[in-house]
Amino acid sequence: MAIHVTGGSGASEVVEAIRGSILEAIPNAEVRVSTGGPGHFEIRVESPVFEGQRRVQQQQLVYGAIAHLMAGSDAPVHAVDRLECVSP
Amino acid sequence: MSLDEATRSRISELVESKEVVLFMKGNPQSPQCGFSARVVKILDAYLPEYSTLDVLSNPDIREGLKSYSSWPTIPQLYVRGEFIGGCDIITEMSESGELFEALGVEPPPEVVPTLHITDKAAAGLRQAAEQNASGAGQQLRLSVSTSFESALSVGSKAKLDIEVESNGVTLLVDRLSAQRAEGITIDIIDTPRGPGFKVDNPNAPSKGELSVQDLKQLLDTDEKFELLDVRTPREFETARIEGAHLLDEAEYERIQALPKDTKIVLFCHHGPRGANMADQLLAAGFTNVHNVVGGIEAWSDEIDASVPRY
Repeated sequence: MAIHVTGGSGASEVVEAIRGSILEAIPNAEVRVSTGGPGHFEIRVESPVFEGQRRVQQQQLVYGAIAHLMAGSDAPVHAVDRLECVSP
Repeated sequence: MSLDEATRSRISELVESKEVVLFMKGNPQSPQCGFSARVVKILDAYLPEYSTLDVLSNPDIREGLKSYSSWPTIPQLYVRGEFIGGCDIITEMSESGELFEALGVEPPPEVVPTLHITDKAAAGLRQAAEQNASGAGQQLRLSVSTSFESALSVGSKAKLDIEVESNGVTLLVDRLSAQRAEGITIDIIDTPRGPGFKVDNPNAPSKGELSVQDLKQLLDTDEKFELLDVRTPREFETARIEGAHLLDEAEYERIQALPKDTKIVLFCHHGPRGANMADQLLAAGFTNVHNVVGGIEAWSDEIDASVPRY
């Protein structure tokens, strides 16, 4: 039977990694990340860059920024339960 | 994460080969995940056919898609090569009416269906609207799926919605549902779980009747179907037709989870209970439901005398 290993990174480190990666891609963003269950996160990003974009484009921008954290079967980010993108 | 060139070009070939391509878990007949199932159900209402690819049997594509679209989850919908979105976005676009344009489908014309809401149901609907309306602009909605499954809900009005009034109650009906809603009657009936709305749709396929000879013939073929005995456990102990399952609560739950086009044959002692259950299953969205005329009595009379009569 497979045992699910969340890896060495604690939830707070992952939260910081998510924040950092999003800020790197969208420097002027206001980012809030909260944890759900193990590997599950909720993200809210506010940035003028989202203005005029369709919802799918906004979310692609964020997902693209954290793709490396979601890659592979033992990824620190297993799922984003909620992703909210707003323009101020 | 990098996406190798071979996988990338395979994905672009796939999404550009057909007008509409859905990457999903499983196939439309048996989706392997609730999100994929929901998108299939939505697309079925818009398109007679579209192309799907099961990522569970294509792990390279599944992994590659994440980078290809900057989207971490399945399902993913593409139209003319362009990524449209995943489950939440498709659902939202369907509710708002945007999906017509995105799929290149002309919305059906605004034809207002005639609905009949009984006095009892009208009072119930008004009460339900008050209880569920969380904010301003919330209205009652009637939807009818492609398998004629009706649903009442509360939501806000979208651009292409049609407002239908009956007995002082106004319901929102989307353009696709409206095509299947002409002549619907909404009533309140007593069910084992208390009073509930009953939506009677004359456009829904009607139940078929099966003679005991038809049933015998059907049992002798390889055709797959569910033979369900709707009598009581005590009657089931007394006499039974070989191969039939007693439709108890657990069995009913199993049946409800089956694809809606599963062939179902019902029987009881003489016929009426089977006919009632057929109505219930049709109302739940099943489209291939049959009742055995004369029930098990006719079976022992005409087919198998070894089945005790009682």
